[in-house]
Amino acid sequence: MAIKAGQIDKGTALLIKGQPYVVTDREFVNPGKGSAFVRIKMKSPTTGQTLSDTIKTQETVDDINVSDRDCQYLYQDGELFHFQTTDTYDEVTVPMVTFPDYQFLMKEGETYRCTFWEESLLDIQIPSKVIYTVAEAEEAIKGDTVTGTTKNAVTDTGLKVRVPIFIKAGEKIRVNTETKEYLERVND
Amino acid sequence: MRQFFDERNYTEVDTPSLSPDLIPEATIENFETTFSNEFVGSRNLYLVPSPEVFMKKLIADGMGSVYQFCHCFRNAEQIGENHNPEFTMLEYYTVGYDEQDSIPLTEELIERSSPKGTDTALLPPFRRMTMQEAMWEYAHVDLDVCQDQRLLAEACRMNELLVPEQREPWEDTFNRLFLTLVEPNLPQDKPVVLDRYPRQIDCLAKRDGNYRKRWEMYMKGVEIANCYDEERDRDTVAAYYEKEYAKLVEERSKSGSVIPDCDPSFADIFTHFPQTSGVAMGIDRLLMVQNGEKEIGALLLFPFSAMLMHGKKLS
Repeated sequence: MAIKAGQIDKGTALLIKGQPYVVTDREFVNPGKGSAFVRIKMKSPTTGQTLSDTIKTQETVDDINVSDRDCQYLYQDGELFHFQTTDTYDEVTVPMVTFPDYQFLMKEGETYRCTFWEESLLDIQIPSKVIYTVAEAEEAIKGDTVTGTTKNAVTDTGLKVRVPIFIKAGEKIRVNTETKEYLERVND
Repeated sequence: MRQFFDERNYTEVDTPSLSPDLIPEATIENFETTFSNEFVGSRNLYLVPSPEVFMKKLIADGMGSVYQFCHCFRNAEQIGENHNPEFTMLEYYTVGYDEQDSIPLTEELIERSSPKGTDTALLPPFRRMTMQEAMWEYAHVDLDVCQDQRLLAEACRMNELLVPEQREPWEDTFNRLFLTLVEPNLPQDKPVVLDRYPRQIDCLAKRDGNYRKRWEMYMKGVEIANCYDEERDRDTVAAYYEKEYAKLVEERSKSGSVIPDCDPSFADIFTHFPQTSGVAMGIDRLLMVQNGEKEIGALLLFPFSAMLMHGKKLS
């Protein structure tokens, strides 16, 4: 399949020199006195390698047909994330470097929607807001006005997040997974 | 800014936004509309993509140095980030100046007009770098050597950039390298004047060997201003218009976009045009970077993106 470069968007999967890449950044540029171009940054899901390129919006590029499948996150071994597809129970692995910080965002045993190209896992879709349990939270220091009204905390997945001083270990909080910022306390 | 130019005896002018003909610019798409009157007839009109031609007519007529703030219109460009189809341009033309004289002038203008507390990365002195130096520094390309498109294409491949197998215009290959490797890496700690653009990027700046007497000024990686030592040879201008118009017609017949009427007599302005340097500055972009914004719409009262999203049509 081929698309015009002007149609490329964040998340578009492209085939570059036979390798799949997912577009992570896209910006249109009209250089003074020049044709319209689109500047893109891409990431290889198989190696984590990133690539930058600038293509004329009217040029065609090969995009690839991707499909979504549900996968259960099993564990990580320091190098790879291990998943199992929920429909066929196939084990799928993907290098951890491709998805920095995902080890702190995903929960073992949880099912995530994943984007596949043939047998390769290209993308893991984490919901934008997720509830985590606070594993550790600093004691609030009375009268401390320097650090303001927040303190450090760590979730049960190991995610470091600044929380309001009233949050205690064992409580549940909702976190924006893109910015990794605290959103609100969740009461059961 | 107005005070700055008034003190220097520039005349502020106000030229039309609607024009029955435009100068041919192949890379700028136009907005077309129609004047119609039951008794007089109708005529195609275009929203001007820049006030350049009107201002040059005034200079040729002996008005001296002129400046203008006006709205300009460019079709088909993307909306958001650094672009809005309708935007505010400041153009100032200084009679007797060349493009080098326009650098300290622009530094003074920025110095004088920037609000108190402006980030020093947006204030003079400007860093100066030639295109030749920048291409060598960030893309390891010697522009004097790579005058042949095939050599530039080879440089793209060595930098692992996509480039078509078949030949393409030199400036397109140049832009692949420039836009991927150079522009995003330009210093951002001070405004940068990128001087001496390649001659192959055809425009109405005077030619000087492999280069043109043209610079662009960047602030925090955003293109803010463009300056020429204005070409004043009638035949050179006429040949440029002819070539540009042919390119425009060829491309737009394929894409189906607006082909504006162009008046070939524009070139005749240059039978009596004085030595002049002109600068065009994107005011919305300048305010955007001065206010630490990343989107041009953040400072517009009615950004185009919002109008398109929320606008409803009477039915």
